[in-house]
Amino acid sequence: MKFGLDDYAHLESPLHQWEPRCKLMGLMGLIFAFAMVRDHRLILPMLGVSAGIYALSQLPVAYWRKRLRYPGFFLLGVVGFLPFISGQTVLFQLGPIALYQEGLLAMVTIASRFLAIITLSLVLFGTASFLTTIRTLRSLGLSPILTDMMVLFYRYLFELGDRLHTMQSAMRLRGFKRTRLTPRALQTFASVAGTLLVQSYEQSERIYQAMRLRGYGQKNVLSQIQSWQFKDLMGLGVVLALAGTFIAAEFWLSSGIL
Amino acid sequence: MHIPDGILPASLCIAGYGATGAATWYSLRQINRDRNPQAQIPKASLLTAAFFVASWIHIPVPPVSVHLVLNGLLGTVLGYYAFPAILIGLFFQAIMFGHGGLTTLGVNAILMGIPALIAYQIFQMRHWFKTQWGNITLSLFAFLAGGIGLGLAAAIFFVLIITTIPGELDVTTEKNAIYGLMLAHIPLMLIEGLFTAMLVIFLNRVKPELIGD
Repeated sequence: MKFGLDDYAHLESPLHQWEPRCKLMGLMGLIFAFAMVRDHRLILPMLGVSAGIYALSQLPVAYWRKRLRYPGFFLLGVVGFLPFISGQTVLFQLGPIALYQEGLLAMVTIASRFLAIITLSLVLFGTASFLTTIRTLRSLGLSPILTDMMVLFYRYLFELGDRLHTMQSAMRLRGFKRTRLTPRALQTFASVAGTLLVQSYEQSERIYQAMRLRGYGQKNVLSQIQSWQFKDLMGLGVVLALAGTFIAAEFWLSSGIL
Repeated sequence: MHIPDGILPASLCIAGYGATGAATWYSLRQINRDRNPQAQIPKASLLTAAFFVASWIHIPVPPVSVHLVLNGLLGTVLGYYAFPAILIGLFFQAIMFGHGGLTTLGVNAILMGIPALIAYQIFQMRHWFKTQWGNITLSLFAFLAGGIGLGLAAAIFFVLIITTIPGELDVTTEKNAIYGLMLAHIPLMLIEGLFTAMLVIFLNRVKPELIGD
């Protein structure tokens, strides 16, 4: 089982070469600035900036499309009804179904914010290896308990996913069909989940003993990280200034100054 | 049941991060009181991964199939580790599958994690009943923990979604939508509660130390 989180971490774009702490702080600042955008006049600049950053990262468009599929459907399920129930200005009416301008505008704003934020998230986590991301979070003050849990979680997630797949194949081969919800079927699912938990628990005890033997708890092995250079700080300054511009523009537009 | 990016106002996202920071700090403080907190980390990490994977099991609820949330069960098994575990699970769900989002990570952690901690407290209440009906008490409190864990998470989710979506929704429409969606979730709460009870009984029989007995 593979999720391809850092399939393109080996590329050498400016985003890949940007110092990870500066990249995390800069892009998170921009992501939160985009989360503040309410005025529809800022939608195009916001989408333009995120598309520009994505192009600069040299990540393939297919990667973006693939990653967007599931959350896109989910978002449509959550806000897709807005144009039909929200607003007063009717744009189009077909029998009892009316399309409202205000609802449509609200949906477009939410969908654009979502697109811009998720594009930047893909750049943030797609342009560095997973271990680099964890090291960056640790160097920015993330608790050692959380860091260790994240590393172990990521390490064993794929393995447990494969184990579940094997168990489900074994169930099917023994004639189990999941078509109806019966107490018996629910009990079978509970036993599968329980077996997965018990096996994981027993494996965790062996892992802890192996980790102790290798010196776990003696030193922090995730602390090495490259140093900041002038160009990294320049990049951080530019991106944070961009974020500040969006926040200021949103404030001025919403207060009616512009 | 994860709120995606772009829906909530930035102020709420930041407040979510603040509340999650506080809840994580509290959980870590409780964890650090343990004699050897490091010894529990592999257990909590692997169980978190196992919960994450177990939530991929699709339960048939004709004509569709649903996957379980398991936050109540996570609370019953992991105790104070449940909140950091949920935070980590949500972080990976956001960056790997796009379920939830980075800006909404704090809010999502609160809406899943606080019910998990409440579920843990509910499950602990079984100790008040030292009776001969051991398995009945165990199943009952596991059922309540599982069902209430999901129910609270669903309630917070719908209230946040409906009250923060911009537009011209009036108060009555919002109320009706919240009540309607909550009613639709009652069968899922029952399934989640039953599943939790069955799983806890299984663990009690096979590996009782996993549920603290």
